[in-house]
Amino acid sequence: MTPATDTRKRMTLFAVLALIGPGIISASAGNDAGGISTYSEAGARYGYSMLWMMLAMTPAFMIVQEMAGRMGAVTGKGFAALIRERFGVRLTFGAMLMLLGSTAATTIAEFAGVAAAMELFGVSRFISVPIAALIVWLLVVRGSFQRVEKVFLALSSVFIAYVVAVFLAGPDWGEVGRALVIPSIVPDRDFIALSIGLTGTTIAPWMQFLLQSNIVDKGTTVREWKLARWDVMIGAVVANLIACAIIITTGTILHPAGIQITGAEDAARALAPLAGPYAEMLFSVGLLSASLLAAAVLPLTSAYAICEAFGWEAGLDSDWSEAPVFNGIYTFVIITSAAIILIPGLNLIAIMLISQVVNGVLLPFLLIFMMIIINDRTIMGRHVNGRFNNALAWMTIVVVIALTAVLMFMTALGID
Amino acid sequence: MFYLTRMLGKPVVDAAGEIIGEISDIAIATGEVFPRITSLAFLGPEKTPFMLSWRKFVDTLDDDRIQLNAERSALRFSYLQPDEVLLARDLLNKQIVDTQGMKVVRVNDLKLSESRNQLRLLGAEVGVRGILRGIHPMVERVASAALALFGRELSENLIAWNYMDLLERDLSHVRLSVTHKRLHELHPADVADVLEQLGPGQRARVFEHLDNAQAALTVAELEDEFQADLIDDLGDQRASDILEEMDPDDAADIIGDLSYDKAEALLRLMGVNEARTVRSLLGYREKTAGGIMTPEVTTVTEDMSVQEVVSSLREEAAEREGIYYIYVVDKDRRLEGVISLRDLVISEPNVLVTDLLSRDVTTVGPDDDQEFVAETMSKYDLLALPVVDESGRLLGIVTVDDALEVLEEESAEDLAIATGATHERGPLAGLWWWLVRRNAWLLVWGIAFLAFMGIRRPLTDEIVASGEPGPVYGMMLMSWALVLLPLLLRTAEDLSSRTLAELIEDEDEDERPPLGKRLAREGGIGLATAALSALVALGFVMLTTDTVHVVATPFAAATAAASLLTVLIGGMMGDFALRRSAQEKPVSGTGLAITAMLVGSVVYLGLAYAAGTTWAAALVLAGS
Repeated sequence: MTPATDTRKRMTLFAVLALIGPGIISASAGNDAGGISTYSEAGARYGYSMLWMMLAMTPAFMIVQEMAGRMGAVTGKGFAALIRERFGVRLTFGAMLMLLGSTAATTIAEFAGVAAAMELFGVSRFISVPIAALIVWLLVVRGSFQRVEKVFLALSSVFIAYVVAVFLAGPDWGEVGRALVIPSIVPDRDFIALSIGLTGTTIAPWMQFLLQSNIVDKGTTVREWKLARWDVMIGAVVANLIACAIIITTGTILHPAGIQITGAEDAARALAPLAGPYAEMLFSVGLLSASLLAAAVLPLTSAYAICEAFGWEAGLDSDWSEAPVFNGIYTFVIITSAAIILIPGLNLIAIMLISQVVNGVLLPFLLIFMMIIINDRTIMGRHVNGRFNNALAWMTIVVVIALTAVLMFMTALGID
Repeated sequence: MFYLTRMLGKPVVDAAGEIIGEISDIAIATGEVFPRITSLAFLGPEKTPFMLSWRKFVDTLDDDRIQLNAERSALRFSYLQPDEVLLARDLLNKQIVDTQGMKVVRVNDLKLSESRNQLRLLGAEVGVRGILRGIHPMVERVASAALALFGRELSENLIAWNYMDLLERDLSHVRLSVTHKRLHELHPADVADVLEQLGPGQRARVFEHLDNAQAALTVAELEDEFQADLIDDLGDQRASDILEEMDPDDAADIIGDLSYDKAEALLRLMGVNEARTVRSLLGYREKTAGGIMTPEVTTVTEDMSVQEVVSSLREEAAEREGIYYIYVVDKDRRLEGVISLRDLVISEPNVLVTDLLSRDVTTVGPDDDQEFVAETMSKYDLLALPVVDESGRLLGIVTVDDALEVLEEESAEDLAIATGATHERGPLAGLWWWLVRRNAWLLVWGIAFLAFMGIRRPLTDEIVASGEPGPVYGMMLMSWALVLLPLLLRTAEDLSSRTLAELIEDEDEDERPPLGKRLAREGGIGLATAALSALVALGFVMLTTDTVHVVATPFAAATAAASLLTVLIGGMMGDFALRRSAQEKPVSGTGLAITAMLVGSVVYLGLAYAAGTTWAAALVLAGS
C-alpha cells in the first residue's frame, strides 16, 4: 500500500513511545475491581504460593495479546467479525454468548468494586451503585468518552502505588524469588478456583476483543504492527508486574497476620506502609476509578463485537432508532449488573472473585476460536502462528480446561 | 425455495445411489439480475474438493440431498471460471455493500429459487431471520410463530444480486448485468457515506476501484476527519493525482490537515499550476474568506463581445465547476463589474461587455470572517461572492456550496456552546440534558457532599482528639455551608448562563463593556445576592439551632462574602471566556458553569470554616 517513496518508520524510542496506546490501556484495564480483589485474595490467603503462576502466565498473556493484535493488523477486522466469517452463525452465536457472559460477570464485579469503594467512604451501596450506573451510562451515551477515559485512567494508575508499597512492606526477597520459580499447589478446592480466577483476570476474554478493535480502529498495518506489538507485549508485562506487586504486598502484610479479605478495608490495609491512615482513601479512589472505567469500557466492547458479528448498526453517534441493538446491549448490561449488586446481603468480595472464575472458565473456549483462526493460512496469509506460539497457547488452553474440570469434579463430589 | 445454509453439508448422491461427498459451495454466473447457479462444489472422501457443472450433472435438489444424473465414473470435473462467484466462500457471512440502501451489511444467508428448471439466486438475506435460521431452523420457526401470535411478521431482508457490491472479491474484471449497481456508480456523496461505514482496510480497497475523477469527488464529500486519513494512506502519486482533480479550496483544506512532510511531498508531485494555486490558498487563515474561496474564476475584459465571451467559456469552463457569474476585470485583474450567464444568453452576439456589465458588485476581503461572508451571500441572494484585495484585484470567489457549509458549521458551534452537545441523541439524552445542563448544581452539590462525607470521619477523629474549639466550630459552620451551598451554586450557574447568552449573541468587540464596567454591573447584582443570601443564612441558623445563636452573624457574613466573591470571580471568568471566543478559541458553556460552581463551593466552604475558627478564637479571647 505504501510505495517506496514514503519515509520508513524507524524504530526509534520516540516511535515506540508514540505507539503507546492500545496495549498499555487494554492491559491496565485488567487491574480492575476483579483483578485487584483476586490478586489481593491470592496474596492474603496463600501468601507467595501463587507467584509462580503469575510468572508462568506472563509469556502466555503476552502471546495471546500479540495474537489478537496480529489478527487485527493483518485482516483489518475485529475478532468477532473473524469468528463470524470463519465459523458461521451458529458458532458465532455461542462465542458471543460467552463474550456476553464474561462481560456481564466482570461488569457486575466492577459495580461491586464501586459499592465496596464507596462503603469505605461511608456511603451505602444503595446510593452509590445507582448513581454510578447512571454516570457510566451517561458517559457511554454522551460519547465524551475519550476525555473522561483519560481522567479515569490517570486516577486508576494510583495502583502503581503497589509497586512502591512492595518495597516498603519489606518482604523476604529470597522467599519471593523461590516462590516465583518453584511451583507449589495447595490441593483444596478454593485454591483451584482461585487459580482459574487468576488466569481469568489476567488473560480476560473481553480484553482480546478490546485490543483487536483498538488495533483495527487505529488502522494499524502489518508494517506498523512490527513496532506496535512491543507496546502490546510491554503492556502485558507491566500489568503482570503490578499484579505480582499486589500479591507480594498482601502476602507480606496480610498473610502472616492471618487476615482474611472479607471487605475492601482488609485489602486496603496492604497499602498501609505507603499511605498510613490514608491507605483506605488511596485504595478507594483507585478502586472507584478503575471500576468506573472498566464498567464503561466492557459493555461497550461487547456491544461493538456483537453488532460486528451479526451486521447490526453500531456506533456511539447512532441513537436508539438507528442502532437499537447496540444501544440496547450496553444499556442492558449496565442496568442488570448494577441491579444485581443491589440485592441485599451480597458479599462484594465474593462476587468479584467468582466473576473472575467465570472469566477463567470461558477463556479457553474463546482461545480455541483464536487458535483456529490464527493458524488458518487463508485468513492470515504468511502471518500464521509459529510452533512456539502454538505450543504455549495450546498448553494454556489445556491447563485451564483441566483445572476447570477438576473444579467441577470437586464441586460435584463435595470435596473441599 | 432453498437456503444456502440449509444446503451446505448435505450429501451428494450419484445415479447409482452412492454418496460421493457433501455440498460445500455453489457457484453462480454473473451477468444477470437473478444469476443462474452454474456449478456445484463438494467435498469428497478425505475432504478433497471437487466441482461439477450444475447443468450437466445435477438431476434434482431437495431438502435432504442433491441427486446427480450420472454415476461416479461418468463424472467429469470442472474448475471455477473467472466470472463465477462462489456463494459460501465469497458471500456467506461476509460484509457487502447494499448499493440501494447505501449501507454496509453482513450476509446471513442466500436465497435460491427454482424457475423453469433453472436454479437462480434471488438475493442475500441480511436480516434477523437469516441469523435465527443459521442458529437452527427450529429457532426460526419458533420466532416466526411467536411473532405471528402478535400479528407481526418475521420479515426477510433480501438484497438482490443487482444491488450488491462485494468487498472481499474484486468484481471489476467480471461481466455484470447492465443494471448491476456497483458502489462507484453511486453519487459521490453516497459513496462517501458508505466509505465512512467501512473499516480502514476495506476503505482503501474500495477506493482502489474509483478512478481519479470519482475519487476526487468522493473525497470532497467525506467528513473532515476521514479525508486526511484517507489521503495519508494512499500512495503519494495517487494522492497528488486526486488532489489535482479536486477543487483547489477543498484540496487546500485537506493538505492543510496533513503533516508538513507529506503535504510538501504531495504538492511537489502536483502539476506546477495546481500546486501554486493550492499553495496560495494555504496562505489564508482558516475560517476567513481567503480560507474558503477558490481562485479559479472565469474572467473577461470590458472590450470583449458576447460572442467572444461565449467562445472563451467553451474553452475554459469545461474545467470549471460553477460559472454562475462572469467577472469583468481590467488588465491588472482589478474587478470592474460582473455579468451573469443569463445576460450572455439573452443578448445579441455582437453586444459588448461594457454595455452589459453591472458595476455595483458586492465584494469581501480575504481576511473577512467566514460567517460574515456567508451572511452577506444570504442577504443579497448571491450564488458566488468575489474576494478582492485592498487594491481591488480579484483573488477568487466564494461559492454558495461553501457558504452553506459555513452556515451549518457556525450554527452547530452555537448549538454546541449553548448546550454542550455536538449532536442530539434522542429522548433518553433529554435526561442527560435536564440533569447536567439545567441542574448541574445538583451534580456539583452531590460531589461536594460526598467529598465532605469522605473526609469527615478522619477529620472529626482528629478534632475530637485535639480538643480545640476552633476546628469544632469550623466543621459546624462548614456543614451548614454545605446545606446552603445550592444557593451559591445557582448564583454561579445564572451568571454563566448570562455569559453564554452574550457569547452566542456575538457582540462586536468594541460594543462589549470593559472589564471594570462589567464588574461594577455584576458587583451591584452581587451585593444584592449577598444580602439575600445573608438573610437566608440567618434564618437557617435560627431554625436549626432553636436560639439566635450568636455564631449566626459570622456565618451570615461568610455567606454574603462568598456570594459576592462568586459573582465577581464569575464575572471575570465570563470576560475571559468572551475574549477567548472572540479569538475563535473553543469555549465550553458547561465548563464555564462547572468551574464557576466549583470555585464558588471552595470559596464558601473555606470562608465558613475560617469564620468558625475565627469566632472560636474570638470567644476564647473574650472568655479569658
